[in-house]
Amino acid sequence: MAFPKPAATLRSSTGIPTGRLAVWWLLASEVVIFGGLLGAYLMFRLGHPEWADAAEHTNTWIGAFNTLVLLTSSFTAVLAHQAAERGDGKTAAKFLVLTIGGALTFVMVKSVEWGIEITAGYTITANGFWSFYYTAAGLHALHVIAGAIIMGIIAVDAYRGRELQRVELIGIYWHFVDVVWIFLFPLLYIAK
Amino acid sequence: MAENHEQNGDGHDGGHHTNYKKIYFTLLGLLVVSVAGPFLEILVITLITAFGIAVVKANLVIQNFMHLKAEKRLAKWILATSLLLMALMFAGISADVMNHEGRNWVNLAAMAAVERGIVDPHAEGEVEEVEFVAVARTVEADFNLICATCHGTGGLGDGAAGVALDTPPADFTDPVFWETRDMDRILNVITNGAAAVGGSSLMVGWSASFSAERIQEFADYVLAFRPEE
Repeated sequence: MAFPKPAATLRSSTGIPTGRLAVWWLLASEVVIFGGLLGAYLMFRLGHPEWADAAEHTNTWIGAFNTLVLLTSSFTAVLAHQAAERGDGKTAAKFLVLTIGGALTFVMVKSVEWGIEITAGYTITANGFWSFYYTAAGLHALHVIAGAIIMGIIAVDAYRGRELQRVELIGIYWHFVDVVWIFLFPLLYIAK
Repeated sequence: MAENHEQNGDGHDGGHHTNYKKIYFTLLGLLVVSVAGPFLEILVITLITAFGIAVVKANLVIQNFMHLKAEKRLAKWILATSLLLMALMFAGISADVMNHEGRNWVNLAAMAAVERGIVDPHAEGEVEEVEFVAVARTVEADFNLICATCHGTGGLGDGAAGVALDTPPADFTDPVFWETRDMDRILNVITNGAAAVGGSSLMVGWSASFSAERIQEFADYVLAFRPEE
């Protein structure tokens, strides 16, 4: 970047580089956002045995496939980080692009899945289960999309050998998005 | 470049290299198990393969991909604080959400939802509307839920909260009590509270909570405690 960096960017008085510390703070707030939503879902699910009849209609195979996609994209994200640590920006960029591919696959599968469900009449207003389903998975999908955009920007920089430390930062965020899905998958798809 | 190495060599990665490929294939194996679990159709196994494995998978990702295990303690404390807040939220409100009935309250809407079940979106027009009244409670159930707290289920005035009151509730089975009571007075007390007839202000009026019909039923219920002459 052309402008001079603020001092805080290069400081690491906590022993953690400022950028990475900021990502941890961001994730701490994300834990409360997703945790609150999933916690509320869990309470209602346990209090409403009839929701199992709605959960019947989610497609475990689509959910499992998307889990596979996200796990794989986490793998490529960590390989990008490994390459960035070696100072190999081009390889890091390549792995970031693969990760973006995972994000796009995930979102495409999700839109097909939602299309099928909405056409079948399972909309966000159908009942409490579907409200949570679309809210939780939708909020998660927004995080996937946001992550993919940021990853694109970082990949361009990394390809030119700039700001390689950011490869790790977007990776940490991306793994968090993966972790959220790891919990959403059993909550929405396996518990029938 | 040198800056990156400096930042990352900061105790980060613990100096050794994590075998990412091994972690990745372990994650895939765990995914297969979590999908296969429900096919055994044993609830306990499904719960373990679904949620137990989710915790294991998440932990593998957090420790090895996010490198939290090699991170400074500060980051762990930040995340732990968030998790603690979550646990507090759950502990604080889950009992009220998961139960539909408590000692002094009922959640009629939730009860009706359970009763109604999940409405099939394809059954349009044929859907039988279940109103809240469909799960209307008997007068006995309401008496035992609300009134009996002080008056006791047998009307003896020996409810758990009642015995602690400075002016304990009357014994509805005592003939002396009925010498000065009739239906009008009982109705008045349930509707407006005992203070309306010069009694204890601890017996509040219930006209805001119950219909006139239900109050009449309460009065009948109370009169039924009256011993035969």
